[in-house]
Amino acid sequence: MSANWESGVAEVAGALLTVQDLSVGFLTEQGLVRAVEGVSFDLEPGQTLGVVGESGSGKSVTAKALMNLLPSYAQVGGTVSFDGRDVFAMAASREKHFWGVEMTMVFQDPMTSLNPVKKIGEQIAESLRVHLGRSRRDALVEAGDLLEQVGIPEPGKRLSQYPHELSGGLRQRVVIAMALACGPRLLIADEPTTALDVTVQKHILDLLDYLRRTRNMAMILITHDLGVVKGRADEVMVMYAGHTMEEAPTTTLFDEMRHPYTEALLETIPRIDTPSHTRLVPIPGRPPEVIEVLDGCPFAPRCRYSIARCLTDRPGLTSHGAGHLCACHAPVGTPSGTEARAANESAGTTAAGLDMEQFTRHVPVADLGQLGAEG
Amino acid sequence: MAGSGTAHLRGHDDIVLRVENLVMEFPVGRHQVVHAVSDVSFDIRRGETLGIVGESGCGKSTTARAIVQLPPPTSGRVVLDPGTDQEAELTALEGEDLRQVRPRLQMIFQDPISSLNPRRQVRDVVGEGLHIWSEGLDDEQIRARVDEVLEAVGIDPTVAANRRPHEFSGGQCQRISIARAVVLEPEILICDEPVSALDVSVQAQILNLLEEMKHRYGLTLVFIGHDLSVVRNISDRVIVMYLGKVCEVGGADALYSAPAHPYTRVLLASAPEPASTVDESEAAIGDEIPSPMDPPSGCRFRTRCPRADDRCATEEPVLKALDDDHFVACHYPSVAGTSGA
Repeated sequence: MSANWESGVAEVAGALLTVQDLSVGFLTEQGLVRAVEGVSFDLEPGQTLGVVGESGSGKSVTAKALMNLLPSYAQVGGTVSFDGRDVFAMAASREKHFWGVEMTMVFQDPMTSLNPVKKIGEQIAESLRVHLGRSRRDALVEAGDLLEQVGIPEPGKRLSQYPHELSGGLRQRVVIAMALACGPRLLIADEPTTALDVTVQKHILDLLDYLRRTRNMAMILITHDLGVVKGRADEVMVMYAGHTMEEAPTTTLFDEMRHPYTEALLETIPRIDTPSHTRLVPIPGRPPEVIEVLDGCPFAPRCRYSIARCLTDRPGLTSHGAGHLCACHAPVGTPSGTEARAANESAGTTAAGLDMEQFTRHVPVADLGQLGAEG
Repeated sequence: MAGSGTAHLRGHDDIVLRVENLVMEFPVGRHQVVHAVSDVSFDIRRGETLGIVGESGCGKSTTARAIVQLPPPTSGRVVLDPGTDQEAELTALEGEDLRQVRPRLQMIFQDPISSLNPRRQVRDVVGEGLHIWSEGLDDEQIRARVDEVLEAVGIDPTVAANRRPHEFSGGQCQRISIARAVVLEPEILICDEPVSALDVSVQAQILNLLEEMKHRYGLTLVFIGHDLSVVRNISDRVIVMYLGKVCEVGGADALYSAPAHPYTRVLLASAPEPASTVDESEAAIGDEIPSPMDPPSGCRFRTRCPRADDRCATEEPVLKALDDDHFVACHYPSVAGTSGA
């Protein structure tokens, strides 16, 4: 997934998936909700792209657009090509053996992803029979092999069990086995561990990583947790309000982040190694729920770096080194960013009218009693 | 993990809540019983924040609910303000006597939107407790008090007071829940996963707000959570629970910098960004949590524990002191450094 936003080339040599200028809108009573706007990326075989964002960032809608799972009233624009084939054209011609075969998906909730009244073996065998034409018996044997590959103990016994007989972690392994059944070349995992306990979460993420490596399968890992993608993704795309804010190789993103939103996310999350009662740097306000058409940057109202231009002129993605794109007028760690923040700090407020004092205030715990609350 | 034992209880006179040998069992038919909480004891000092951390099914929420007698525990004692003239043994009270004590304990919940009545205006949601309990106050005084508290939690009363909960985001609803809880000036605020349903950018706002409310209103907090980083950030003292038992108790920084119980170490190693005090390989344990209807004998963690041996199956470990304020219920704890290894 080398970035080719500016080159305008429809396909990158060696890319498995190329997404160009993807946009998704939903017409509602309040008007057009632009859930995703102008998202582009590509992904090479065997690579992991981490997509990080909060609710309403458009990360799941992007995944659903790729999987052809959006409702018919969604207004989809842009192009997606998978190994040279036009994905939206395949959707239009009702291609049956692409989704679930070459491109598959794992969802957040393992209970609702499984049919509660069907045995696990049959659920896995179903896609093998439908897509690959296996006989009932062969498909069940293969289903047992798949359960073993995803680390389920006693796979032979599990085939004839129902989902409710399994724990959440095992169910998610079954969902992964189903997604792997037809040997996909791209697996999209949408918050695959959010519903699971922390000890199980690590095992599932490790399993996905192992399967990706051994099968040379590409993966899109969608999460709200920067910690989840840190050690696992080759590249990370940070989304906010339907837009790509920053995109970079993972180590670059964490070491040389350019977007104020990325920086704010990292500073606002408590770390396991920081002492208790460390005051967290807040991100004031909240993510936009219904996306209005903004002239400026969608993050500007919450941003410590915002300048007048951010309110009127939406920043496009610009290059900050190899494969590193960022949409910001005053990027972190650049002269313009440093200057913008210093100016905001001395003025006590940003161009968007955000009170800067709340970020710089270091409050001794004993003095908190005299403090009013803040927004 | 046995977690039975009371070595970690403190005899000080500034204890605001003491829970002794709390047991909560739920019958599920066919003579079977879910052992949700088994013989758990702890105490909380005035002004302290106690974090209770563990995975689903460990009994942390059940413990919180048992404190407020919703429902009352199967056995055990819950005492508010022990040793003072305000002392109230909640487990011995019922009816009107229990009702009289309830305003001293308040709770906020995980899902902020469903914990507010959708048909009522924010002013009435927050003011209801005052209308019931403050007989001396007239409507105007209650109104002023509600406005003051709303302002304290960062909600503008002139804009918000006459709106209904659905007009607010999750983070704002959680602020309103906090306002409703603190308006009665409780001694103890029990927070059951209060930030788990919120976006990460809003989570820090609520955690900072809880710290501010704690100091402003002199609250004692019980904070239930599953996110280890969040629990460390807000807590003075932390209890790690597993399958209805206490594994480890200690000062937040002491416990995280020198985790002694194998389960605590597994939790810290499993975090998306593992703690520096453990090795990531320590996360390698089985996924299957035993059934709470038939918990393992001896130490309940032994079926997944890398250090378990025969002794763990027969003899339940009891909480014992590692140092002044760090206790572990394990036969083979990590004691490499009680001061920070």
